[in-house]
Amino acid sequence: MESKSSTTGNRDNPNRNLHGSKTMMASHFLRALFRIQQTSTSSSSAGRSRRIRRAAYASMAYSAGTRRAWSRALLRKLRSRARLRFPRRLSRAATPQRRDMDQAQVLRKLVPGGPSMDDCKLLEETADYIRFLTTQVRLMQTVMDSVSS
Amino acid sequence: MGPARCSGVGSGNSGAYTTEIAESLRFEEEIHSIVHPSLDSSPAAGGSFTALLGLPANQAVELLHETGPSEAPGSAAAPSPTGELWRLRLGEHAAGPLHLPLGCSPTFPSNAALVERAARFSVFAAEDSPALSSGGGPSPRLKAEPLDSDSPPLLPIPTEKTQRPAKRKECEKSKAKGPAKKSKSAEENTAAAAKETAAENTDGEKLPYVHVRARRGQATDSHSLAERARREKINARMKLLQELVPGCSKITGTALVLDEIINHVQSLQRQVEFLSMRLAAVNPRIDFGGLDSFLSAECGPLATANGRGGVALDPALWSSHPVTANGARWLPQPQIRHVDVWPTQQSSTAWTRDGPAHPHALLNPGASLVGYDPASSVLLNSNQLKTEL
Repeated sequence: MESKSSTTGNRDNPNRNLHGSKTMMASHFLRALFRIQQTSTSSSSAGRSRRIRRAAYASMAYSAGTRRAWSRALLRKLRSRARLRFPRRLSRAATPQRRDMDQAQVLRKLVPGGPSMDDCKLLEETADYIRFLTTQVRLMQTVMDSVSS
Repeated sequence: MGPARCSGVGSGNSGAYTTEIAESLRFEEEIHSIVHPSLDSSPAAGGSFTALLGLPANQAVELLHETGPSEAPGSAAAPSPTGELWRLRLGEHAAGPLHLPLGCSPTFPSNAALVERAARFSVFAAEDSPALSSGGGPSPRLKAEPLDSDSPPLLPIPTEKTQRPAKRKECEKSKAKGPAKKSKSAEENTAAAAKETAAENTDGEKLPYVHVRARRGQATDSHSLAERARREKINARMKLLQELVPGCSKITGTALVLDEIINHVQSLQRQVEFLSMRLAAVNPRIDFGGLDSFLSAECGPLATANGRGGVALDPALWSSHPVTANGARWLPQPQIRHVDVWPTQQSSTAWTRDGPAHPHALLNPGASLVGYDPASSVLLNSNQLKTEL
């Protein structure tokens, strides 16, 4: 189900729904949450939040499959057990020099697998990445809401 | 291109209805080859005008007859039935009825109107055939592209995503064939650039033909063609990105749009981060005990949970509109912005569990689920969660 609808989701460019991948994302993420909760009952909140974040990106990458360059790069990063670093801080990038020259550069840093893409592919991957990120955020929000209500 | 073709038809303008039919039937070979592959249900026949048009007989007769009374409006009426004709050929494969706006009276059609229509039809055929003949394999797709557009004779074909700039000799070959077949286009380039691509398959073994027609007044050497192809590809992707990022469609200028896109990606990543922090804080209060049996099968538990009416909920929830009918707490799309704003109002390092009252995330220590009957409450909660998802 997932593969079929995600291929059609890729092809139906105007359609842009992630219908099939959402279910997989949700189940993967919830399973991961469950595992995290079980295995780290005594550890700190920070460690757990790191693991949850990692689980979020993992479920994104798993539901996107190997069809996308960004998901392949993400899976590679996850498997190598490197620490997931994400540019959180804006301060350095707020300099005016960022304007024209570095835009593609900045985008490449943001999107996983970015540095090895040409501009055209970068835009395509960014669009897909944004879609999956939005879905993941909504998923986490739903979990959050249902748990805290 | 019209007049060149139709001069023969126009010459037989002595008024005999049958002569016109015969003249227009001469185009039949060409048109048949185009029409028949595209028509699923082409009506039987050979040699009739109805087969030519691909219409059922009564509708074709209607079409013929309606040009009689509409002679005075003349050019106003003639384009619309031809427009209908095109639409017939274009999308519906003669399946849909032809909506003729005019009441028909059984008079013979006038020569001029029929000639004009045949002229336009042949123009369309002439436009189409060289593209087809030089298309080879991807020709059905190339035909499908012009067929999708609504506009009149010159076939503006929307440029789709192109593959890497492919065989230039095929470009030149197609361009050489084009003017050879169309007398009109020898003088001026057509107003559209047609590109044939394989949209998704970037790793295809053989590259498809890239048919490029130069726009008017633009250079046609291979380098600028390739550059133009790349630029159009990039512009197409930028447009898609603009649709994805909220509030980006009104911004003009690539730099600003890219800024917006970068901001959006960064804000999404920050949201993931903060949500994971909050989930980490909430997590010990959740008893996921009964969840495992739900998650053991991917679709099974979702199907059972969705039996409560959540199936309709499922796509609706993932769209941007909140579903409040089920009592599901769901953040509408604009409120994601709210979440984004919230972390910046307080410093991220100072985020604590007892933060300021947030409208949708009150971590109430007293409302622990563990206090309740674990199995049923967790079950209930997971059901609710599943339906929400």
